[in-house]
Amino acid sequence: MKVPVSLTVNGERVAAEIEPRTHLGDFLRDHLRLTATHLGCEHGVCGACTVLVNGEPVRACITLAVSIDGAEVKTLEGLQGEALMETLKAAFHEKHGLQCGFCTPGMLISAWDLLKRRRDLDERAVRVAMSGNLCRCTGYQGIVRSIMAAAEKVGAAAPSTIKEPLR
Amino acid sequence: MGIGAPVRRVEDRRFLEGKGQYLADLDIPGTVDLAFLRSPVAHARLKGVEIPEQYRGQVFLARDIDFVKPIVAVGKAPGFKYSEYPPLARDKLRFVGEMVAMCIARGRAAAEDIAQACVLDFEELPAVWDMEVALRDGAPLVHDDWTDNRFVTTEIKAGDLEAVKAAAAVRVEKSLRMGRHVGVSMETRGVLAHYDNRLGELVVWSSTQFPHVIRTVLAQSLGISESALRVVAPDVGGGFGPKNNFQPEELAVAALAMKIGRPVRWIEDRREHFIASPHAREHRYKLVAYADKAGRILGIEAEVMVDAGAYSVWPWTAAMEAGMAAGIMTGPYDIPVYHGRAITVCTNKAPLGPYRGVGRTGACFAIETLIDAVARAVGRDPQEVRIANMVQPSAMPYRSVTGKLYDSGDYPECARRAIAAIEPEKVRARQQRGEPDGRLIGFGVASYTEQSAHGTAEWVARGLPVVFGYEPALARFTPDGKLILFVGIQNHGQGLETTLAQVAHQELGLPVSDVIVRHGDSSTSPYGMGTFASRSMTMAGGAVSRACATLAEKMKRIGAHLLQAPPGEVRLADGKVWFGEQSVGFAEIAEAAYLHPERLPTGEEPALEANAVYEPGRSTGAFSYATHACTVAVDPGTGVVEVLDYVVCHDCGTIVNPMIVEAQVVGGVAQGLGTALYEEIPYDENGQPLASTFLDYRIPGPTEVPDVRVLHMETPSPHTRFGIKGMGEGGAIAPPAAVVNAINDALRPLGAEINVTPVTPERVLEAIAAAGAAR
Repeated sequence: MKVPVSLTVNGERVAAEIEPRTHLGDFLRDHLRLTATHLGCEHGVCGACTVLVNGEPVRACITLAVSIDGAEVKTLEGLQGEALMETLKAAFHEKHGLQCGFCTPGMLISAWDLLKRRRDLDERAVRVAMSGNLCRCTGYQGIVRSIMAAAEKVGAAAPSTIKEPLR
Repeated sequence: MGIGAPVRRVEDRRFLEGKGQYLADLDIPGTVDLAFLRSPVAHARLKGVEIPEQYRGQVFLARDIDFVKPIVAVGKAPGFKYSEYPPLARDKLRFVGEMVAMCIARGRAAAEDIAQACVLDFEELPAVWDMEVALRDGAPLVHDDWTDNRFVTTEIKAGDLEAVKAAAAVRVEKSLRMGRHVGVSMETRGVLAHYDNRLGELVVWSSTQFPHVIRTVLAQSLGISESALRVVAPDVGGGFGPKNNFQPEELAVAALAMKIGRPVRWIEDRREHFIASPHAREHRYKLVAYADKAGRILGIEAEVMVDAGAYSVWPWTAAMEAGMAAGIMTGPYDIPVYHGRAITVCTNKAPLGPYRGVGRTGACFAIETLIDAVARAVGRDPQEVRIANMVQPSAMPYRSVTGKLYDSGDYPECARRAIAAIEPEKVRARQQRGEPDGRLIGFGVASYTEQSAHGTAEWVARGLPVVFGYEPALARFTPDGKLILFVGIQNHGQGLETTLAQVAHQELGLPVSDVIVRHGDSSTSPYGMGTFASRSMTMAGGAVSRACATLAEKMKRIGAHLLQAPPGEVRLADGKVWFGEQSVGFAEIAEAAYLHPERLPTGEEPALEANAVYEPGRSTGAFSYATHACTVAVDPGTGVVEVLDYVVCHDCGTIVNPMIVEAQVVGGVAQGLGTALYEEIPYDENGQPLASTFLDYRIPGPTEVPDVRVLHMETPSPHTRFGIKGMGEGGAIAPPAAVVNAINDALRPLGAEINVTPVTPERVLEAIAAAGAAR
């Protein structure tokens, strides 16, 4: 049995008939060929598949695509050229925030969400905020340094006025 | 941009844009997904598989691929028992997760539906679920034709132990256990195989660390020529050892693609990775140290027992883990007498394979906790005893009691620097004061040597089916003056696309951005051994250096000719050949070499490429070394351990890229902290694995790993090009030892001692309770 689903993915309307059990990760990867979203555990722990659904970070592997019918989804591909994301990518390059690259898209999305909300971050705060994303290569040091460098850069350019508590 | 520069990585861009191409990202038209039906039980006679009528044609059993040969990995040690590892089980099931059938469909979920609909008929046997169970008299046999459940036992007897026993003032005993692990690359394993009709070759994509070697063994197993087989490792999302074996899944998927003539892919799910990918560690130690009254160690007796699971992995064999642990036991210490025994046990668990640190993580845990115990027995500071027992720099090169040749370095100085950086006097003062929250503070140290880039002599000595003695490189300019390096290693996070370009820069003076590194494809690169054993920078770096040096001479000859300069008076810099202030660019030289041979000097061959093969000057390995020091806080109420500070002082010879080296160390430490504190797959008495998700198998997250401080020393190896030593694994070797020493330091006021990893809160509380009961 297939059911219709329609989403806005990276600004484009997509409509498809899918099995209800299709999770958002598989839908993005197999149906739309958006392979920046990686599947690392498919049980909602590792964070490699983190994408934005209506602006909030979500684990694509435990989100059924049909359950967010009508939503707006953004993946790493859809943030190409976006100012904060480009700052983050430059920082990950400069501070060696990636090794094998598999967890990187999820790290970038989570970090992007963090810096949208908070810029007055110390090392501990970054570690706590990023604790939903696992990396096996870096020991997190490069990732934490990258995010702090990006926070400093965007913070200097346009001080954040939003001071939400850490989610 | 050359050797020693912190060049930013050229491979970053594709990953940062989400354009890396990992196995699951491949898009081969017509691909069907494969799900394995795996054994739900540890030990059983397999009687049959019931396939629902509607799925006939989509389910394949061992008999459907009976043209393949089983995987056989028998070591050369006397008495090593023969076993066969069939890709699909035939008549017996030997571990939970063993493959029984292949189910194919459009989409993984549909393939899993089929696997679930099949019914296994089996007769369960008692499970051999632990080493002690395996070695009991009358234990059930994992392999029916064996006499007992031992793959092999090997012994090293160096020096007169009886004399040492007579002379020793103190005798210290220790029993240790290290838990069973899994590698946990963030990208799981995976295989995609299809037939290329035009080239008449089977193409096997695999998330592997050594595609060329896989081509060799896969061709043998499939009964085809290597010339009709191409193996490609695309972007690989972490390896760490478990992707450095010949996987039965590789054989099964390739065989099925050959049989049905359609592209087939299998993407391992996380549960499969936990229960069925090659496991790691699970060591038990019985140790005795004999020392004089100052704590100088006179001799050691060690028994290492390793649970290698049900089958012997190719090419390492089941015995690698125990053999390496026993063989490097004396570590950085000058210990004249050593008797070691390595017992490799066969059980109903997933087969054990290499994982970052191989053997040495356990050996370091053993010797380093033993050193602390000796120091306590003689009433001296463990760090003084540690340093006093070390091989002194004046003794280099030093032949260890187990026959290893330590090439260079200053072990005591390295230890002193790491210890000084952790500021022991401040830790001691803090211990004296006590913590406001009641936690206990401790400080611990561990040192090791890491044999790296070992070549022919070492692998021959181990008696493996393949001798990983060398590494090749083909350096080829394009007609527009860019350089492409074709290498046989495989880059999966180590930054080799950058560091090998740095080597090319060193020889040729061209910008790193003008160098492209191609690897991972048996059809594009010269035959090479792959990336493991901390070998790629040394071995492939040496090969790239040689090939580029040959090209540099040719560039100079052609450049001098074009500049009308004497060949001996030109130099290479900034992608040009220079004669005084005059220069000619590499693009112009390459154009002449390829498209205008009439411009070349008389007798100069056209084209601009060079092949080289590199072997280190001595093939016994370049020994990196390090001392790790850490401070921990132990909560005696909850048993929770927090690592407060962590310092590594290490020496990996000449550093090619300090940014990458530091990050490799830190990444290794994070994995080692997992070994020390969090990671374990226990098995119950039915042989069921008790951890199969990230909820019950915890790997360190951002808040579990401290900001590791890394101090570098640089003693070039006398045996390798540029003096490079390998360092990829080292970070993961010392953390269990350093952390356990620190925990035991913290627990001393309570009289409690930990001798097992991972040090879970439960184990801390048990140790405290046991100490309380003993008082």
